[in-house]
Amino acid sequence: MKSTLLRTLSLAVFVAGTAQAELSAPDISLTIDAYHKSTDTALGGRTEGWGLSHTELALKQQFGNLMSGKLTAVMEANEEETDFSIEEAYLQTLSLPAGMTLRGGRFLSDIGYLNGQHPHADSFVERPLLYRAFLGGHYYDDGLGLSLVMPTDLYWRISAEAFDGDQLSETDSGRTVGTWALSTSLGGDLSDSQSWQAGFSYLRNRTLEAGEHDEHDHHDHHDHEEEGHGHSHGAEYTGKHMYLADLVWKWAPQGNNRNQQLTLSAEYARVTDPNEYASSQEYHEGWYGSAVYRFAPQWSAGLRHGRIDVQMGHDDHFHEGALEETAVMLAWNPSHTQTLRLQYTHQNVLQDWDDTFDAAADDVLTLQYIISFGAHDAHSF
Amino acid sequence: MMRIRSSLTGLALVAALLPLPAQALEIFACEPEWAALAQALAPEARISSATHAYQDPHYIEARPSLIARLRRADLAICSGASLEAGWLPALQQRAANPKVQPGRAGMLFAAEHVETIDQLDHVPFGAGDVHPEGNPHLHLDPERIRQVAAVLSERLGRADPEQAAQYRAAYLRWSLSWQQRMDKWRERAEPLRGRTLVVQHSTFDYFWRWLGLEVVADLEPKPGVPPTPGHLASLVEDVKAKQPLAIVHSWYQDPQSAQWLAQKTGLPVLALPSTTAPEQGIEQLDQLFDHLLAQLLEQVDAG
Repeated sequence: MKSTLLRTLSLAVFVAGTAQAELSAPDISLTIDAYHKSTDTALGGRTEGWGLSHTELALKQQFGNLMSGKLTAVMEANEEETDFSIEEAYLQTLSLPAGMTLRGGRFLSDIGYLNGQHPHADSFVERPLLYRAFLGGHYYDDGLGLSLVMPTDLYWRISAEAFDGDQLSETDSGRTVGTWALSTSLGGDLSDSQSWQAGFSYLRNRTLEAGEHDEHDHHDHHDHEEEGHGHSHGAEYTGKHMYLADLVWKWAPQGNNRNQQLTLSAEYARVTDPNEYASSQEYHEGWYGSAVYRFAPQWSAGLRHGRIDVQMGHDDHFHEGALEETAVMLAWNPSHTQTLRLQYTHQNVLQDWDDTFDAAADDVLTLQYIISFGAHDAHSF
Repeated sequence: MMRIRSSLTGLALVAALLPLPAQALEIFACEPEWAALAQALAPEARISSATHAYQDPHYIEARPSLIARLRRADLAICSGASLEAGWLPALQQRAANPKVQPGRAGMLFAAEHVETIDQLDHVPFGAGDVHPEGNPHLHLDPERIRQVAAVLSERLGRADPEQAAQYRAAYLRWSLSWQQRMDKWRERAEPLRGRTLVVQHSTFDYFWRWLGLEVVADLEPKPGVPPTPGHLASLVEDVKAKQPLAIVHSWYQDPQSAQWLAQKTGLPVLALPSTTAPEQGIEQLDQLFDHLLAQLLEQVDAG
């Protein structure tokens, strides 16, 4: 894991050296995400009390017309611990023909709708349950990715990625390709005021098969005891195959999203073959639906509901678990670099085993403040 | 019947996904004014504008349809000076089209070729949505339009060398008639010289300068920050005393604030298009300036 990162960085330095004639100053940005959360939640990314979540320092550099590089260092701090990580360290081509882009290093996978987006652009304080349960919040890893945008009237992207898989499994699987993913998305406009995007992704997780004999037993529920405390990047519930479908629809009067905009989005995930004892009926499943309405230039309100149904492995059999989460939020953007958000979250345990969802909370209030300095990324659809 | 319809839908989907046949030059304009200028200089090209007159060009989303359009473009023309900073970089990155990457000849930023007004050495924190490169709404100065047209004509020739001579000839013809129009507009605008206005955002600043009009108040407390009740209330006395010609806002802006101040001061509200609007009959740049002048002169006559 570390060696790949080092290789990437040394490559970046090398390219920077050879292309120095065309180098401009790098874009530097700092985003601070401070919050206060009233209670811990099950599978919650943030912990109770005051904290900093996903506070990032990003460096972006373009190397002539050939490629660009990005390095993102993330700090998360709460009342118990402080955690530093490198979430992005990649180089990306800018000049390949036929709509191709090649990325290498550590980067966010193109799967799903939210995964490739930066968390500070999210409409809710935490990612939906299915992201937290199956992807560790957002999935990034060390690897190579090729994406292709077709020269069609309709937007059509196809991506293929191969990763070492260490971030998803949180172990060194010892495999060169621990995970690989295929994803595609289509999108367009329905009228002046409506646009849409739909995607389908497949993520193959091969890390579960590595060292099956000695590591298998650690994959069961006992890992979850620390949840809500220790900071975890890995996925809580994994399986050999993951399928993701996403759909987004946006409306703004005459396409002018400055004053008003309605965004509806939904994703569905199914993770099959959690271990070798699983039958075809035993899989994890999750979905969410979200509606966010910006009713004035600086104000937006949103509602999100989601659910996961998971199989908790116990020796050679499974216990079922089901958890629901509903969130309501109100956000104020006094400027385009600041967001103040108040969110109410309600969790409902439908089925539990061995107190896995013990941390589930009825009423949670989170206050979040995001501010960014410097050149910040343009927000995607 | 159902089956026919679904197979037709299927065909339409397949057609939409098939690569388009190679055709005329594809031009991607960030704003309608650049699409209109490209239309005048390259009538055969396939031109589309990413935005229209009822959209705030600062706040556009990097929609899938725009990515698809930029993916196919041979040439892109945008205002620059950070006007599109919130969305164009995302489009460029996602479209994966080497021709329109920053720094390439196929990516033309108008602001890099003319002098902008209100440049800043550094932007103090809390100054609002301003950029050191200065005011990006330079297309509302007819003289600067002419300078951009010269660069665009040269870029058209580079993107499509076989037709370079035609583009050059089209530019010379256009430039000549534009010069005549500018002379006429200056003449017509004589009654406006020295008059004052209340505005909402710095959108028309280049135009006011060209006409010799002066701005006495801005409904925005800071550039890019929507009007607040407190700020509006603070303007009333001052505006009453100065008796400007009108309170001007762009078509894409919410008219509420302008109307509130109009009620308090008795001034007329003037909603103006900040760019060409083919669907509203303002197809060409000269029609835009004709329209803007006529609207302002009407206020002079009414006053």
